[in-house]
Amino acid sequence: MAEISLKSAAGYLPLLRFDRGVARRELRWNGLGGSGKGRRAVAGWDEDPLTMAVEAARDATARATAESVVFASTSAPFTDRLQAGVLLEALNLGADRLAQDVAGSRRAAVSALRLALEGGRSTLIAAGEKRSTAPGSAQHLGWGDGAAAALCGPGPGVARLLGAATVNVGLLDIYTAVDRGIPYAAEDRFVRDEAISAVCLPAVTAALQAAGIGGADLALAVLPEPVSGIWRAVARAIGSKAPNLCEEIALQAGDLGAAMPLFGLALALDRAIPGQKILVAGFGNGADVLILEVTGPGDGTATAALTQGAVLNSYSRFLSLTGGMDLDWGPRSEVNQKVAATTLLRHGRDMHGFVGGRDAGGNVQFPITPIPVRPDATGPEPWQDVVLRDVPARVASITADRLNFNPDPPFHFGLVQFDNGARVVMEHCDTAGRDPAVGDALRMRFRIKAIDRQRQFRSYFWKAAPVSRPDLPQEG
Amino acid sequence: MATGIKDRAVILGMGCTSFGERWDASADMLMVEAFAEALADAGIAKERIEAAWLGVALDDQNLGNSAIPLATALRLQGIPVTRVENMCATGTEALRGAVYAVASGAVDVALALGVEKLKDSGFGGLPIRTKGATNDLWMPYGSAPGTFAQLAGAYGARHGVQAADLKRGMAHVSWKSHQNGVLSPKAHLRKAVDMDTILNAPMIADPLGLYDCCGVSDGAACAIVTTPEIALALKARADLVAVKALQIATSHGWEMQYGAWDGSYVPGTRQAAARAYAEAGIRDPRAEISMTEVHDCFSITELVTMEDLGLSDDGRAAFDCLDGRYDRDGAIPAQVDGGLKCFGHPVGASGLRMAYEVHAQLLGRAGQRQLRNMTCGLTHNLGGQPSNSVSSVSIFGRL
Repeated sequence: MAEISLKSAAGYLPLLRFDRGVARRELRWNGLGGSGKGRRAVAGWDEDPLTMAVEAARDATARATAESVVFASTSAPFTDRLQAGVLLEALNLGADRLAQDVAGSRRAAVSALRLALEGGRSTLIAAGEKRSTAPGSAQHLGWGDGAAAALCGPGPGVARLLGAATVNVGLLDIYTAVDRGIPYAAEDRFVRDEAISAVCLPAVTAALQAAGIGGADLALAVLPEPVSGIWRAVARAIGSKAPNLCEEIALQAGDLGAAMPLFGLALALDRAIPGQKILVAGFGNGADVLILEVTGPGDGTATAALTQGAVLNSYSRFLSLTGGMDLDWGPRSEVNQKVAATTLLRHGRDMHGFVGGRDAGGNVQFPITPIPVRPDATGPEPWQDVVLRDVPARVASITADRLNFNPDPPFHFGLVQFDNGARVVMEHCDTAGRDPAVGDALRMRFRIKAIDRQRQFRSYFWKAAPVSRPDLPQEG
Repeated sequence: MATGIKDRAVILGMGCTSFGERWDASADMLMVEAFAEALADAGIAKERIEAAWLGVALDDQNLGNSAIPLATALRLQGIPVTRVENMCATGTEALRGAVYAVASGAVDVALALGVEKLKDSGFGGLPIRTKGATNDLWMPYGSAPGTFAQLAGAYGARHGVQAADLKRGMAHVSWKSHQNGVLSPKAHLRKAVDMDTILNAPMIADPLGLYDCCGVSDGAACAIVTTPEIALALKARADLVAVKALQIATSHGWEMQYGAWDGSYVPGTRQAAARAYAEAGIRDPRAEISMTEVHDCFSITELVTMEDLGLSDDGRAAFDCLDGRYDRDGAIPAQVDGGLKCFGHPVGASGLRMAYEVHAQLLGRAGQRQLRNMTCGLTHNLGGQPSNSVSSVSIFGRL
């Protein structure tokens, strides 16, 4: 059996980056605004851990597929619905793959990555987080929304596992209970001391020993820190000068929870050169630590995610997008958006996978219909699946609607023309910073279609986004 | 070989309520009000009505399903009553049912009534509708102005009309309708608005500002139709208006799904207009149509419609409008009663309201709004959204 290696890793961040300085100024009266340094990635109203994980997974699986998929998150929207199954459909990977959701700890994705690297089958691990936090808390400003994915498979890849170690310690640096919904944190000084001495140093030391290398051999570290200074102390103890990329990610986007280690791994691959050794750790009630040798390049997605986006300077919009302010949107928001389980079973594969069809005359349409839209079609015809997800497309018509309810207006929608001939009326997303115009190039993004607030269900579909994102300005 | 319905049905009487925020009236009261006027105008006993059609577009807001509410409100005892719904062409569909019944010889006298009670929704604009359990999985929840606003960008791109010129042409559409609404006693909005106010109004859906959009209203309108023979036995020929054409065209997905449509026009209106002109025997609509009541739900819709009807050259409607061609004193006056923009838009009633104005103009009853040399009037509805629509074109003239 061929050795399993890391084939690729990718990072995804939502478009918006909240300037923490805005919160510091806004909360000056109560002192809860934090340091004001850096930015925090903020998911769109129609993004959740699953949609963001899909986006990262698209990049991670760009050149190879997986026999099994794992979705990791501590903020997954469902506790009893297989989200890895939706992930499979969104990636058009096939219904016969092993699919699993993992949760319960920020370590979940790294634990799954270790299992995959030590196992015998190709596995995609996709992690996403959009964690609920209370305004005024350190987490509200310190944590960010985002996702990352890693693909493991047989044969050579971009990194190989040299050694790994795990320690389990019941350190409650933070916990989130289902009935409370937001995190509760222990005292920083206690957490720092115990995270270093009882969790990270033992785990890192054991992993290095398993890999047969010393701390000085590490080029880069990816160790999520519940409070600052942990890696600095561990590095000093093991004789490492490797920078911890999580510090940079936390400053520019926030702590990404379960996605943080994989995002850091993707970023490390962008920066490392083959032969270098990197440390990737998952932290939470203990730690999993992996030591990897880089054997190939990163895909650049994590680097791009950190440098591209749109700055969010409105504290009230930030509150609204993060659930910190429940606005009364009026009676126009009362529309019943119940999703029928029957329709989801019939059409879920096509909706989640953006699967249209090519009719007998060669025309592509979405969704397929009993009789094709092609003008000379006279009756039902056989269909051949066509996935529209990655097909180049342009704006055919567009408007910014300010009347109908949308949680983050205005609501852009219109006709989208795909290069293969398909035409679909679609919602747009990620329009902040650039208004779409007729003829503009588009790319598709997996998003929440609708949230049924009465029954707390959500449906997913694809939306059209500008084909590229603007570069983020340097922080002033 | 079908010969159409030209001159095979005659309007014996029409009625129309005041449109607007009718806090005082429920849907059944509006129906009775419109019917009473139509019945008095027709000069017949209610018992002579042998069949009736009810047009209601948004059943969850007022009446519920079926035609029973019409039969109940008017106490139509034992006759066939049918409810029809085809979005903004609903009122015209009701008229089509009644006209076809008479033209076919199935009945001698038929009733068409359209009604909508929208102002019980608790908010402005149309009620928010889902698209159905399957379509909701992917179709956007766009508002009506949002769907129609998209005509503007595509139209400008197709014809090279600058956004500023288009915006001014659109503003003139609304300016003209507000001017006309002042002279229309039953209109919802009866206040003139200047061009600057229209041009600088808050944006609803780019590039449609507040005054580019019609509101929604409560109201009902009604027609009683019969055969030419019966009509002539009851009234002088000069007091009668005949149906010359009544055509509907419905999208079949081509615009929304096929990719050949550039979004700058409404194919259904062009198809319905071509068939209506043929049915009515009109060869040169610019010379033969005396006036129009078109579906000016949004100012851009009226501009595009004038081209779809063949009344303006493609790409020229904005400039024709600015030149005054569709003003009350222009070559082909449009929306003389204020249109959807100012008379109001109770969806199920609007097609019949348009016919009511054409009927009044043809019979010289339009008071301050009365046009001269009226021979032929056209009404038009556009239901749904430009990419997925129902178009109706009706033509009325003297018997």
